[in-house]
Amino acid sequence: MDFVPTSKSSTKGNTKTQRALWFLLMVCYGSWAYADDSYQLLRSDPTGYAEVKPNREWRFPEDHQPHEEFRIEWWYLTANLNDEAGNQYGIHWTLFRQAMDSEANPGGWSSNQIWMAHGAISTPTEHVYKERFARGGIGQAGVELNPEGKFEAWLDDWTWRGNSASPFPGTLDFEVDDYKVSLALNASTPWVLQGKSGFSQKSSMGQASYYYSQPHIDISAELTRDNVPIKLTGKGWLDREWSSQPLAPDQTGWDWLSIHLDDGHALMIFRLRQTNGDDWFSGSWINPDGVSETLGADDIRFEEIKRSSVSVSEGQSREMPLHWRIELPAKNLAWEVAPLSAEHWLNTAFPYWEGPVEVTGSTTGKGFLELTGY
Amino acid sequence: MIANSNVWQQFVWVLTTLLSHYRRHPGQTVFMAIGLMTGVALWSAVQLINDQARASYADADQLLGAQAGFWIRAEDGKAEGVSVADYIALRRAGFDEIYPVIESRIATADGQLVTIIATDLLALPINALGGTSGTNTPFADDLFSGRQWLPLIQPTYEAWYPQSLANQLGVAEGDQLLLSSSKKLPPASIQAREQQGLRIFMDVGAALSVLERSTFSYLAVTQLDLERRQLLEQQLPESLNLVENQQALDLSQLTASLHTQLTAMGLLSFAVGLFIVFNSVRFSLLVRQGTFTTLRELGVSTQILGFAIVIETLLWSVFGTVAGIGAGYLLSGLLLPTMAVSLQMLFGAIVAAEIGLSLTQMLTAWALTLGGLALALAAPMWTRARMSVLASRSPSEWWRVDERARWQLAAAAIVLMAGAAVMFPVMDSVTDGFVVLALILFAGAFLLPTTLHLSILLVLKVLPSSSWQARWAVSDAFSQLPQLRIALMALLLTLTANIGVSTLVDSFRTALSDWLEVRMSADLYVRSDSLDIDELHSKNSTISINGEPSWLIDSHLRSGVSIRWQNRPSRIEGLDISAPDSQAILLADQIPNGLMEWQQGSSDSVQPILANEQVHYLARVELDEVITLNTPNGPMMFRVVGFFHDYGSAYFRFYLPNRIFESTWPSASTEGIALWIRGNDFAAAEQALINSGAEPGDWVSQRDIKRISLAIFDRTFAITAALNGLTLLVAGIALLAALLAIHQQRLPEYAHWRSLGMHFSEWFRLVAVPLLILVTVTGMLALPLGWILSWMLIHELNVTAFGWTMPMLWSWPPVLQLAAVTFSVVLLALGVAALRVRATLPTAIKQLASNS
Repeated sequence: MDFVPTSKSSTKGNTKTQRALWFLLMVCYGSWAYADDSYQLLRSDPTGYAEVKPNREWRFPEDHQPHEEFRIEWWYLTANLNDEAGNQYGIHWTLFRQAMDSEANPGGWSSNQIWMAHGAISTPTEHVYKERFARGGIGQAGVELNPEGKFEAWLDDWTWRGNSASPFPGTLDFEVDDYKVSLALNASTPWVLQGKSGFSQKSSMGQASYYYSQPHIDISAELTRDNVPIKLTGKGWLDREWSSQPLAPDQTGWDWLSIHLDDGHALMIFRLRQTNGDDWFSGSWINPDGVSETLGADDIRFEEIKRSSVSVSEGQSREMPLHWRIELPAKNLAWEVAPLSAEHWLNTAFPYWEGPVEVTGSTTGKGFLELTGY
Repeated sequence: MIANSNVWQQFVWVLTTLLSHYRRHPGQTVFMAIGLMTGVALWSAVQLINDQARASYADADQLLGAQAGFWIRAEDGKAEGVSVADYIALRRAGFDEIYPVIESRIATADGQLVTIIATDLLALPINALGGTSGTNTPFADDLFSGRQWLPLIQPTYEAWYPQSLANQLGVAEGDQLLLSSSKKLPPASIQAREQQGLRIFMDVGAALSVLERSTFSYLAVTQLDLERRQLLEQQLPESLNLVENQQALDLSQLTASLHTQLTAMGLLSFAVGLFIVFNSVRFSLLVRQGTFTTLRELGVSTQILGFAIVIETLLWSVFGTVAGIGAGYLLSGLLLPTMAVSLQMLFGAIVAAEIGLSLTQMLTAWALTLGGLALALAAPMWTRARMSVLASRSPSEWWRVDERARWQLAAAAIVLMAGAAVMFPVMDSVTDGFVVLALILFAGAFLLPTTLHLSILLVLKVLPSSSWQARWAVSDAFSQLPQLRIALMALLLTLTANIGVSTLVDSFRTALSDWLEVRMSADLYVRSDSLDIDELHSKNSTISINGEPSWLIDSHLRSGVSIRWQNRPSRIEGLDISAPDSQAILLADQIPNGLMEWQQGSSDSVQPILANEQVHYLARVELDEVITLNTPNGPMMFRVVGFFHDYGSAYFRFYLPNRIFESTWPSASTEGIALWIRGNDFAAAEQALINSGAEPGDWVSQRDIKRISLAIFDRTFAITAALNGLTLLVAGIALLAALLAIHQQRLPEYAHWRSLGMHFSEWFRLVAVPLLILVTVTGMLALPLGWILSWMLIHELNVTAFGWTMPMLWSWPPVLQLAAVTFSVVLLALGVAALRVRATLPTAIKQLASNS
């Protein structure tokens, strides 16, 4: 599928919003009738919920906590790790919050908040994943400051604990099937406010989210299976985003990519596929010190090289663009992106492809690719 | 080739000739069809209900679509359920295979009992699929199937009612059921989840609020491997226990006897249906005897004739199976809801409301039909077909055949009775019992023709020879008897079953009601989490309050624990020995002074204990035997000094005096308190209860308990009554079929009589009198047989099956009622037959004229 990136204006956006919206609205308002056209849900009226507006005043560490007046919110971590022999591993852990209505949260068993978590571990030989759900208000899941005033995000025993009110430095523990993983997370660069000072527009029709990231997370981890621990080290990426606003009516799915380059730079790019062909592009280029530059459609070339067959359920497979060519013409930089393995489909209640990728070109690097709507 | 095609042609021609009978006698064809259809229908309806119930038991380790291989419950008696904090702690320790459940039986404002089942849909476990992970959460299924569950978990919440429960409670979509606690359930939505049964499904958050609880009834756990199970057991707080969900096993065991009884009734119905078929077959043979003879004279070989009979049988069997199962399916749909209520009330079994038809059931029904038909149709036809060509033209041969048949039946009856006599002393199971019963019943039925024959001879003997009209009428019975024989045998079986079963039900109902009178002698029964019993006692002495006589005469605080004993769910209860109901425990049996010994206790370590009769009959424990029960301090021995009646209970139950019970199970929970009230001063009692912390709705009056208990009882036996009624209907149809056949066959004879000047009324008397004599004799024979049946059911089968005894209560009113119904049915059948004779007689007279 060849295309020329076009845009009516230099816009910014982020498909994680759409991705999460899709998941959460499916969880909370879903029915199979809708699921066939899940995006219809994302267009639902945000009336009553808080509105995403430009020029927000950011407050840290308070903004790491939930913003319940918005419909959806997430804490989204991906990581590319290596063992001592140089084998590559991928980690993906997300916590989603959804308000079921726009009323004030009554709390307790009547809480209008729902939580969903996904955990996935990719090893040189396999890819395992799990999803969990919980209601808010009863202590089974949430994000809050614990009695010692430290950041905590959890669902059941899957827990991210900060050493302070900030998630970094901190630890994340979760398990999938026989695998147990314990991550020590450190970051020293500033939070990256995506889009326009954290106001991330989604389409020409005005949909938007609040969005900030930590692209430079140093990780040392221990992955245990059958009591055999493996030491892992590498880089991670955290996205924090919340919104009340659904997709534009003509957007069908997205392709999203985050990259850690070996020279210390980080890159995030996505395309939102639109039915009218005017796909929506956005991204950011972040230097090793965490200083970012927002990329608009004119700054990005993001092209499929080929489609590969991905097994989505037993005996069923689908063609998906796992190989990509990226160019930032103004910076004279270009890369090719290839997956470590094609088999990273998450056949969860709301399925998608998410897995580690290898980057070659102007500089080498590693990253995570996400594909939805295929 | 040519020979083959000739044979084929001949076969088709023979079959067409045989089948043309059914075209020429549509009435008989209809009865044959009805006989087959009703027999198969009643049998298959019972079978469908049984299979449905059994399939539901197998699902008993499922809960609301999720696996529930284990339960986490509060340690026996330690607390009321599992706290939210304990649950969250387990989830946060990583046990995501655990989900919370509230299951509670509550009273509605108008006194009906309903069961609430509640869980947290979002916490239902997600199963890993094979090697790779995935999702298979029931809640995701909901999502995909388009069921809207969001309103269920969000205030104002929803309460999901299965359709049949909604109908029963008169609840419509959106209604809020008012509880006796004056709380309202969330708005109704008419839908149900898997294994919901006749329970109201709610979100667990909604249930906590509506039921004013702070704890879950239990936590359900999906499958656990050994390692995971050990890990969980280590992490459980002291107050909680992990127990295996043995419901599937328990339910199959507990209900096995009930299903055997139902199967027996189904088979009886099938047998009655077959009698109609026998009857139709006799007629079709009689009418076709000329045809057979002619066919043989024309050179049709026995083989071809036999093959045609086989095909005719097959055709009928296919019809009977398809039509019977269709009708049975509809019938089971009507009967199942009643049955499901009983099973849920008695055994806690959740039976799904939808009936599934399986291929196995179809094939079984077909095999049964074919077997029955082979017996009813093929065998006698085969004999006829083989009868020598000349012999079958001779009427005297027919008389001879009939008499021989009568003696053969009588001989068979003696063999069956001998079989029953041999089996009776050694019978050991419910199935054995039913075999003995079947032998007795069929012996009775086979003896009937001879009894009738002898009875008529006797009547003729006592009639004065001068009353020639009466003698003629009675003698006419000989003409009717061969044709009526089988219909009367069916009637005998039906009447016997009716008398036997209604005696059983009456005896049981009386025993239960008397027992409730003694057992439930208190006026109010209170079960409350918030009641301060000490305060109630201190403020309400049983003698006086401030010099005024107190409203309270006496009280009885019971406590209890649930255990497993002999692999069955069992209860141990602590009783206040001074309470009026403990003083008057109805004992079925005791060692000399057993009750007194039990009250006083023993000075040695083996304490006397009372057990229910089920312990005696099902666990085979004898009086004075020492049994071992598991206690918190390890196994302890008790001596059984008496057995008490415990009607309708599916469980083993033991009584201990409170002081022994409390020292053995110090943390047992209070079961409730029973209060005896002076002069029906309920207002004072209720006010005192509220003052001591109880909530309205925490108590129920003795009257309500009795009413509810008897209502459950009546519902349980509603299916029995329905089957009895239907069987009587079938017998009525058999009789009608027989009468129509007799009179059609005797039309030329009647034409003769008419031409000799006999009036219709004279004719009616002539045929009615012998019929009524025959029916009366049949009814008389049904009395002793019915008595034997009920005796067997009460003293043998009920004890073997359920483990309790009751006195047999023979009462005449139901018997007289049955007699009235039977004579009405007989007269109705006779009336229909007579009208038909009246309508067809002119033609017969014309034919008579033209023949002469």
